[in-house]
Amino acid sequence: MAVLHAWRAARVTPLGELHAPPRMTAVLVRLTVQVVLVASLWSGLYANTGVTAGMSREQAITYAVLAVLASRLRELDQYAGRDTVIQHMHFGTIVYWYLRPLSPARYHALRALGEQVYGAAWALAGYAVCLAAGVIEPPESAAVAGVFVVSLLLGQLVLYHVMLLLDQMCFWTVRNTAAMLILIFAQNLMSGVYAPLWFFPGWFRTLSTFLPFQATLNVPLSLYVGRIRLSDAGGQLALQAGWVVLLHLFTRFLWRRAARRVISQGG
Amino acid sequence: MNAVRIAWRITRLNFRSQLEYRTEFLLMVAIGAIWQVSVIVFATVLLTRFTGMGGWDSSDVLLIPATRMLAHGLFVLVLGRVHGLGRFIQEGRIDICLLRPIPVHRQVQLQYFPTNAIGDLTVAAGLMAGALSRSHLDWTAGRITYLVICLIGGMLLEAALFTAVACASLRFPAADYWGRWLEELLGTFGSYPLNVLPKAVGGFLTFGLPLAFVAYFPAAVLTGHGHDTGVPFWLAAASPLLGVLAYLGARLLWRWSLNHYTGVNG
Amino acid sequence: MIGSIEVRSLSRSFTTTVRRPGFAGALRSLVNPERAVKHAVSDISFDVVPGELLALLGPNGAGKSTTIKMLTGILTPTSGEARVAGVVPYEERERNARNIGAVFGQRTQLWWDLPVRESFAILRDIYDVPGAEHAARLREFDGILELSAFWDTRVRHLSLGQRVRCDLAAALLHDPPVVFLDEPTIGMDVVVKEQVREFLRHQVEQRGRTVLLTTHDMTEVERLAERVVLINHGRLVLDGSLDEIRRKFGSTWQVRATLADGHTDLAPPPGIVLLRQDGPQVVFGPDGPEAPTVHQALKAVIERYEVTGIAIDEADLEDVMRAAYAHAEPAAEGV
Repeated sequence: MAVLHAWRAARVTPLGELHAPPRMTAVLVRLTVQVVLVASLWSGLYANTGVTAGMSREQAITYAVLAVLASRLRELDQYAGRDTVIQHMHFGTIVYWYLRPLSPARYHALRALGEQVYGAAWALAGYAVCLAAGVIEPPESAAVAGVFVVSLLLGQLVLYHVMLLLDQMCFWTVRNTAAMLILIFAQNLMSGVYAPLWFFPGWFRTLSTFLPFQATLNVPLSLYVGRIRLSDAGGQLALQAGWVVLLHLFTRFLWRRAARRVISQGG
Repeated sequence: MNAVRIAWRITRLNFRSQLEYRTEFLLMVAIGAIWQVSVIVFATVLLTRFTGMGGWDSSDVLLIPATRMLAHGLFVLVLGRVHGLGRFIQEGRIDICLLRPIPVHRQVQLQYFPTNAIGDLTVAAGLMAGALSRSHLDWTAGRITYLVICLIGGMLLEAALFTAVACASLRFPAADYWGRWLEELLGTFGSYPLNVLPKAVGGFLTFGLPLAFVAYFPAAVLTGHGHDTGVPFWLAAASPLLGVLAYLGARLLWRWSLNHYTGVNG
Repeated sequence: MIGSIEVRSLSRSFTTTVRRPGFAGALRSLVNPERAVKHAVSDISFDVVPGELLALLGPNGAGKSTTIKMLTGILTPTSGEARVAGVVPYEERERNARNIGAVFGQRTQLWWDLPVRESFAILRDIYDVPGAEHAARLREFDGILELSAFWDTRVRHLSLGQRVRCDLAAALLHDPPVVFLDEPTIGMDVVVKEQVREFLRHQVEQRGRTVLLTTHDMTEVERLAERVVLINHGRLVLDGSLDEIRRKFGSTWQVRATLADGHTDLAPPPGIVLLRQDGPQVVFGPDGPEAPTVHQALKAVIERYEVTGIAIDEADLEDVMRAAYAHAEPAAEGV
């Protein structure tokens, strides 16, 4: 029975997307254009440069394109389904989350899982096309590919918890746009979506090792392009796992506080 | 004159209402600081790593992100509320605006006070000061005037793009999605000399999405790269004029779209 | 006990931030916010027996929604106790959730982007309803609410009436013995309202569900509820049948008369009060404990005024409620 409701909750997003073909077209167009632009930007930047920040032209392009693909994993039109915490708080429908024999934390996790799996399908298709077109390089060895997959999964778990934190913030402030902007910006900048983290000065990279953002994308992508060597992978994976555990404990604590807040304010 | 008074009064009220949510207000101020550090880091990062980008001196390249950021800050402060209008429309709040005896566009702009613009402008001004101090150019009155005009043109061009998206939102509320992408594109590709890109891609960012006219062309004209941008010099130099024309066109489109507005789902 | 609601001395207060006026005030509130306590519900007790439909009435802000939230487990009371189907809702939220269904006015629990039937399927799996049972219940609901005409439509494209009917069905799909409805028919047209009423009657009479309903629609109360609980300013004003309310607050009768031209002095006979006047149309009601019977009143009116038409009405429930709300006002201020 638990499997059934998990399946139902997880497929809400993909189903909603399938019912709205224009949205799927939009994702396709955006993904294509973004990949072309990013690939040409980095090859343009490298026109007069050989290796910089320890990254060759091919490594940089592969990194940047993979970052675009990976950031699509949860870059859907979150608001269209009216199932975000901020919208539920706004419309007062958050009460229904607390009226069901399924805990809000579990429901939220299942919805996100469905969304991420759906996004992964897009990313995977994009990856196959880019690989076939020669835009990006394949991983150096099977071992690198394996470590990359593990690291990517851990990274997605970290990302889920970061996004969850954003959602949980809505329980305390109805207006959390500022915090949202800060977190999204930090996520984009420090995970390597804007530019590979290796191009930033040393102090900035030191700073980001103390934050969870680089564990979402920078670590798996660096492993993929070989900027982090396989011999150093263990420590990085442990760091990611550490973030998952830490964030999981913290968000679990926040779920409890959020429930307390809902039942003391009445949603 | 009355319109100005109303606008001023509402802006004051909006600013006050921002103070009501104290966490939000303080965070909005904090955003400025974060933005500041990151933008400057970002700009210096690429400049130090890729010297001679597109044949430009690195002190000249800095003028591109500075111009783009300052124009963007002005846009957020003055006309920024057209961004993200889809939600406003979907919640039916535009219908309320249609009932009031003030132009809808003005009401939209007066929705709330953009606290984050303070941060944006501070950063942008800092970056511009940095760019000017590093610049080897002779900043004559003519150059400075042209720069100021270009900033206004860049602001209007960005406003025109977002107004066009807002017009689409009047028909398809989901057009917000494109608005967010537009913001991302402007942020990511607005800060480089576009001649590093392949011709086709550069052409797209010039004639498809006229991003080049916001900061790249003005900076090219100012720094003496105006003849190798891939477009005729006069076109690059006329960037601010293009901004004005685009904005006027966008406002006409807005008026037309509003007249054809039929409401969202009953 | 299955399907019963017991409420004992339930109270709930909230702390709010006082907003100071003016620009300087806003700045001061930013630095040093001032708090105030508001009593939303104070010391309310009542019982609902299984299979009963109880209307919880009161003006806006009386504490109806707060009471319902406590009974659904979304809100913890400051003091007092409540049991719904034997479960303390705010202590065992998930166990309570299986026993209750709820609809909060126009707030929908359906998934905005999906066809309605998908929402039903999600809820079926969340509540572990067996497939055959689910299908049978859906057929039953469809029979009265006519859902099948639009249940393959996405929720975002439904009209309000369609959506609320679907929300009602969604709330009852897991066969809850107790149902809470917070203004379910608000903003709906008469046809849909009648459909919803029929559905509710059916659920109470045929399925034996306990329903607690809040509404401002007095027709609905008259058609559905045998018993009402009236609250105002968070306090219980009355718990009884509609007749009792009528006796206590309303006139038991009304005399409608059309006066001939030229009446300036409208002072009514003793024991009779002028309720409304619209030109020559006037409505009289009984005044005080010494009020005359309807026959005496009829006679007195005809003797006192020159009338061209006269009729007797049973008192309108809206008038009764208006009197009841007004009556409850000073009592609450006093405490």
